[in-house]
Amino acid sequence: MDIISQLQEQVNTIAANAFNTFGTLQRDAPPVRLSPNYPEPPAANPTEDAAANVAEQPKLMSATLVKAAKQFDLLVAALPLSEGGEEAQLKRIAELQAENDAVGQELQKQLEAAEKELKQVQELFSQAADNCLNLKKPD
Amino acid sequence: MAATATYPPPPPYYRLYKDYIQNPKSAPEPPPPIEGTYVCFGGTYTTDDVLPSLEDQGVRQLYPKGPNIDFKKELRSLNRELQLHILELADVLVERPSQYARRVEDISLIFKNIHHLLNSLRPHQARATLIHILEQQIQRRKEAVEDIKRRREEAQILLKEALGTLDGQ
Repeated sequence: MDIISQLQEQVNTIAANAFNTFGTLQRDAPPVRLSPNYPEPPAANPTEDAAANVAEQPKLMSATLVKAAKQFDLLVAALPLSEGGEEAQLKRIAELQAENDAVGQELQKQLEAAEKELKQVQELFSQAADNCLNLKKPD
Repeated sequence: MAATATYPPPPPYYRLYKDYIQNPKSAPEPPPPIEGTYVCFGGTYTTDDVLPSLEDQGVRQLYPKGPNIDFKKELRSLNRELQLHILELADVLVERPSQYARRVEDISLIFKNIHHLLNSLRPHQARATLIHILEQQIQRRKEAVEDIKRRREEAQILLKEALGTLDGQ
């Protein structure tokens, strides 16, 4: 995949990681005490959520986010933006077209000369073969 | 009872090409390429495919305008901005959860800017591809010229040898 498409994919990956991060954290967060008047929220049954996931998920997901951002920076550094300017590119294209035309004409010339020689040789060969067939002495 | 409609018949232009084999010029020329805007199946399309600028889409442009944009620098700084905003959103969700909307808008603005920058790299990429193709074609043509020259010389040598052998008889 070309570099720009890779960059676009990477941006979308960063976006997906971001909303997955926030969504997961918001969904799995334990309830918090709102005000001193209300009693503690009922302690949720310590299922799989307890300790293990709730503490690790932010670390894992933020590490993913940071890695994705670093990958994006890497890809940006790999962009082959040679020189500045649309004009420079257009000038180079014009030069290349002129050179292409010149080389094309030379190719055409060589091709025509080669075909002419081929015809001559074929002609001579058929004459020689005829002479051989008719047992005439070669001049 | 036929519940389906039949297809429309093909357009009658085929009659104009009756003598095409004998005289290719007796038939009408193909229509010239369309310029400007055209209507197709009730929708207007334009032939000038240009990327609409951010202002046209009503999106604020975060990177500086100007003729030559340093894409790498701008992309990197937008990436940093994005990370900072994500962090800010996380903070806001912890402290003042009701004010998330503004932060989410900022993040989406940054994403739109990044995508617009990447899209505006595409014409550059197209020209670079064209340059590459032209260079390759020149390379191939030069090789073909060399090839033909070499073969002609070999043929000349063979002919001289053959002449030598014939004369030697």
